[in-house]
Amino acid sequence: MKIYNSYILTVAILLLLTTIILVGIGQNSLDIYYTIYVLEALVVTELYVYFSTKARRGLNLVSILLFGGFTFIISQQVIKILT
Amino acid sequence: MLKKNSYISAGLSLLITGILVSLVSIFILYLTWLTATGIAMLILSFILLSLGRTIPTLSPEASAILLKTGIDNIASIVEELGISSKAIYLPSSLTGGKPQALIPLHSNPSLPSITRAVTQRLIARYGDNPNDIGLLVSTAGTTVVTMLESRPGPTADEFESALTSLLLGTLGVADKVRVNADGNHIKVMIYKPRIESNTTWFHQCLGGPLASIVTSVAAEAWNRPVTIKQEEHSRGKYSVDLEVQGEDIQ
Repeated sequence: MKIYNSYILTVAILLLLTTIILVGIGQNSLDIYYTIYVLEALVVTELYVYFSTKARRGLNLVSILLFGGFTFIISQQVIKILT
Repeated sequence: MLKKNSYISAGLSLLITGILVSLVSIFILYLTWLTATGIAMLILSFILLSLGRTIPTLSPEASAILLKTGIDNIASIVEELGISSKAIYLPSSLTGGKPQALIPLHSNPSLPSITRAVTQRLIARYGDNPNDIGLLVSTAGTTVVTMLESRPGPTADEFESALTSLLLGTLGVADKVRVNADGNHIKVMIYKPRIESNTTWFHQCLGGPLASIVTSVAAEAWNRPVTIKQEEHSRGKYSVDLEVQGEDIQ
């Protein structure tokens, strides 16, 4: 399954590069790391439009899970600002 | 229950490592970057586990055996009958169900015009002439077309998109597909194909498995009979020239 390997490699390389760059610029907030990871994973998943229906369904579940975490972080920040 | 394959194994390994790395770095080492690396591992593990569940349980070798058995049986019939005419790939609307290939029993210099649905039998009549009979057979394309989410529209772009989705996404048997349409001819270029095409009598009559898939999808897209004019395999490229029956498509 060449398309699977290429997708996994793309996501892995992007997450690794993001970590290196954010460490390099001295980023110390876990929220920023997570938010960028999620955005990258979602964008790459959308770019791979030729996945089979079964694979896309599975990846949609992962996307919902990751987006749930992203929403949690945003709501925490909003609560922090409001209180 | 998770089926055991390399994606599942890698996913479970990354899941366990990711959880351990995240917990140790949060509560003991207090290193943000290491926690982030653990989270990245967890994200990758979720992706691997979800993709691992979609890998077919049947091995490629077992699939090849089944495909070869089916092809050998039809090849024996075709060779025994001494048929040398090229197959005509019919859309589902002309076969009353699924796209199939019709191999005329008598060679005809011009393509027979098929306008009404042929009967669903192995030996089917397709015209009014007594010689208008042929073998109606299912091909690799017959099954593959059912894997399409929707029927592609009659344009080169939609045809290319459907082929890319099938050959790259669903079957994983090629790296790239390009389509050019001119008049009622379509040229399909498949890059780095991973299915071999033999040059037996049967393949010259019906085309190789990839050509069969491409032609069946074309017949469905344009809803017209399609024939393989030529197929060529050279240095990682496989080209198939198709002819769509009737007026120009472009």
